[in-house]
Amino acid sequence: MNPVLAVDGLVVHFPARHGPPVRAVDGVTFTVAERETLGLVGESGCGKTTVSNAIVGLVQPTGGEVRVAGMPVRGADRRTLREIRAKAQIVFQDPATSLNPRMTIGAAIGEPLLVRGLARGRELRERVAALLTEVGLRPEHASRYPHQFSGGQRQRIVIARALALRPALLLCVEPVSALDVSVRAQILNLFVELQQSHAMACLFVSHDLAVVRHVCDRVAVMYLGHLIELAPRDALYTTPRHPYTRALLAAVPEPDPALQRAKPRVPLQGEIPSPAAPPQGCVFHTRCPMAIAHCREEVPAWRHLGETIVACHRAEETPAP
Amino acid sequence: MSAALEVSDLRLAIGGVNVVDGIAFSVAPGEVMALVGESGCGKSLTAQALLRLLPRQVRQTGGRILLEGEDITALAERRLRQIRGRRISMIFQEPQAALDPLSPVGAQVREASGLASAAAREAVRRMLAEVGIADPDRRIDQYPFELSGGMCQRVMIASALISRPAVLVADEPTTALDVTIQAQILDLLRRLAAERGTAIVLITHDMGVVADIAERVAVMYAGRIAEIGPTAAVFSRPRHPYTALLLAAIPRLADEPKSRLAVIEGSVPQPSEYGAGCRFVGRCPFADARCNAEPPPLLETDEGHFSACWHTERLA
Ligand SMILES: Nc1ncnc2c1ncn2[C@@H]1O[C@H](COP(=O)(O)OP(=O)(O)O)[C@@H](O)[C@H]1O
Ligand SMILES: Nc1ncnc2c1ncn2[C@@H]1O[C@H](COP(=O)(O)OP(=O)(O)O)[C@@H](O)[C@H]1O
Ligand code: SF4
Ligand code: SF4
Ligand SMILES: [Mg+2]
Ligand SMILES: [Mg+2]
Repeated sequence: MNPVLAVDGLVVHFPARHGPPVRAVDGVTFTVAERETLGLVGESGCGKTTVSNAIVGLVQPTGGEVRVAGMPVRGADRRTLREIRAKAQIVFQDPATSLNPRMTIGAAIGEPLLVRGLARGRELRERVAALLTEVGLRPEHASRYPHQFSGGQRQRIVIARALALRPALLLCVEPVSALDVSVRAQILNLFVELQQSHAMACLFVSHDLAVVRHVCDRVAVMYLGHLIELAPRDALYTTPRHPYTRALLAAVPEPDPALQRAKPRVPLQGEIPSPAAPPQGCVFHTRCPMAIAHCREEVPAWRHLGETIVACHRAEETPAP
Repeated sequence: MSAALEVSDLRLAIGGVNVVDGIAFSVAPGEVMALVGESGCGKSLTAQALLRLLPRQVRQTGGRILLEGEDITALAERRLRQIRGRRISMIFQEPQAALDPLSPVGAQVREASGLASAAAREAVRRMLAEVGIADPDRRIDQYPFELSGGMCQRVMIASALISRPAVLVADEPTTALDVTIQAQILDLLRRLAAERGTAIVLITHDMGVVADIAERVAVMYAGRIAEIGPTAAVFSRPRHPYTALLLAAIPRLADEPKSRLAVIEGSVPQPSEYGAGCRFVGRCPFADARCNAEPPPLLETDEGHFSACWHTERLA
C-alpha cells in the first residue's frame, strides 16, 4: 500500500546573505502509513518546522521529494497543490494566530467546506455542529468569536477546522506546546480519540518526548538537519540506539523526584553547531560521548538494527539501560 | 537556622483584585525552593515583588519580605538599589532580552560586580569559568548575539551571582532552552546553591524541573499557595486536589501510551472571575458550598507539609 506521506531524501538549504547556506534539512527520508502517527522530535533548529513546511509546499526543497497521497508536492500545478493542501491539514502551536479574530468560529470551521463547494446552508451548519461536538465544544458556540474562548478551546476549534475536509494526513506542529499542563491533557485525550475515530495518518512534530511517546506509533529523531534514528515507539524509548537519542531521553526531567534523582546524569557537553557549517563526518561528533576518529571522517550510513533504523557507526554498542 | 528570605502574607493587587493573595514561604541558605503553577497564577509578580520591581499598575496591599532578617518592604529606592544584584538577584526566561546587546558580556558581568577594573577582569573571568563557560578569555569580550541562548543564561547567572547575593530569584530560567541545555543549567544552579550557599527561588511551570532540583515546592493556583512542602512528599502524597490532578495530567515516560490522562475540567480563571471562596472551586471534583463561600486556610497536614483545602481528607 502507498504511504499517505512519503518524504524522500528531502534537502532544504536557505541561502544566506553572506557565507554558506543554512542547511536546515539535509537529506531526510521517512514515510507515514495510513492510520499511523509518526512523531518528529529534536531540539530547536534541527529542522522540524522546515520539514513540515516542505510537506505542504510552503518552502521549496533544494532536493529530494515529498509525496502526499501519491502526489508529488514539487512542481505541482495550482490545482494539485490545492488538492494536496486539502488532503494534508496543519495544526500549529499557537491557536491564537491561526484563527481570524473577526470571523465567528462557525464560519472559520465551515470555510474550507464552503470554499470548495462541498456544503452550504443547512448542511454546512450541520457539518459544523457535528465537528464542534466531535472536538468537545457545543454547536451553539458556532456564533461566537475566537476571543471568547480559552487557549485550549481555541486549539479545539483549530482541530475542528483541520478535520472539516476529512484529511488523509494531519500535520500537528507543536500542537500542545503553548498550553498549560491541565489543558494539555484535555487536548491529548481528544487527539487520541480522534486517532481512533478518524483513522487518519498524522505527523506529530514536537520537542516534548513524553508527549510524543504518549500519542505516536513510531518516532523519528532529528539533529542538525539530519534524521539520526527512526524506530517504533517502544523500541525507541526502551532501547534507543543513537547516542543523541539516549542523551535527549536522559535530559527529559521526569515529574517524579525519586526517579529523576536516581537517574544517571550524563549531560551533553557543548552546544549545537551552526547548520551553516555542520561538522564533517557524523554531524553529532562534536558532542558525542562515544565519538572516535572514524566518526569525524565518515558520515554514518543508515543501518537496520532490529526494527530500528539508525545512523551511527557504533549503534550496536548500546550501553545497558 | 535563619532564613535567607522570608515572605509573609504577600498581597499584590491590580485594579481591586488581589492577583497575589497572601502567600508566604521562606528559603534557607543553599536551599532551592520552587514556585510552580500555570500561567497567570502570579509567579512573575511574586518574583518582581521580591526585588521591589513591580510594574506601576500593581500595588502591594500587604505582607512583609525579610531578606536575611531585614525588612525590605518599606525601603527607599536608593537603598533598594544597593540591595539588588548585591544581596538579592534575578534571572529571567529570555537571557538575550535581559542582556544589553551593545555591550560585551564581560563588561556586563563586571558592572554587576561593582569591582574596579584592575581586579575586575580576573574576577569576571573566574566567574564565567565557574558558570561553565568554556574559553572565558575569548567569551569575555564577545557580544550577546555571538552567544547561544544557553550561554547567555550562563552569563546572566554569572552577573547575578558575582556579588555573592544571599538570594537568587530565577523566573523560568530554562523555559526557553532545549532539554539538553536545560539539564546543564539545572545542574549548574544546583551546584552553585550548594557551593556558594545561595538560596534559590526557582519559578517554573514544569513539574519535571521541580522534581529535578527543588528541595521544597510551593504549588500556586490563581494567586494563592495551594500546597507547600518537601518536594518528595508533595509528589508522592499531594494534599491538595489541584496538585493531585495536575500530577495525574502529565504524560510520563513510564505510562501506558495513548491511555487516558486525568483532566482538570475547564481552564484557569481570570482574576476578574476570582470569587469569595477557594479559587479552585469551579474545577474541583470535591467542591461544595463551603468551598464557594470561604477561602480555605493553609494548614499543616504532615511535618512541614501544608495544604489549603477544606477537604484534604478526601484525597487518598
Ligand atoms: N526562512 C529561513 N531562512 C533562513 N534560515 C532558516 C529559515 N527557516 C529556518 N531557518 C533555519 O533552519 C534551521 C532549521 O529551522 P526549523 O526548521 O525552524 O527548526 P525547528 O522547527 O526544528 O526548530 C534553523 O537553523 C533555522 O534558523
Ligand atoms: N504589568 C501588568 N499589568 C496588568 N496585569 C498584570 C501585569 N503583570 C501581570 N499581570 C496579571 O497578573 C496575574 C499574574 O501574572 P504573572 O505573575 O505574570 O503570572 P505567571 O508568572 O504565574 O504566569 C495575571 O492575571 C496577569 O495577567
Ligand atoms: S557515528 Fe560516532 S559521533 Fe556519530 S553518533 Fe555514532 S558514535 Fe557518535
Ligand atoms: S477547598 Fe474545596 S474547592 Fe478548594 S480544593 Fe479543597 S475541596 Fe476543592
Ligand atoms: Mg519549529
Ligand atoms: Mg511568568
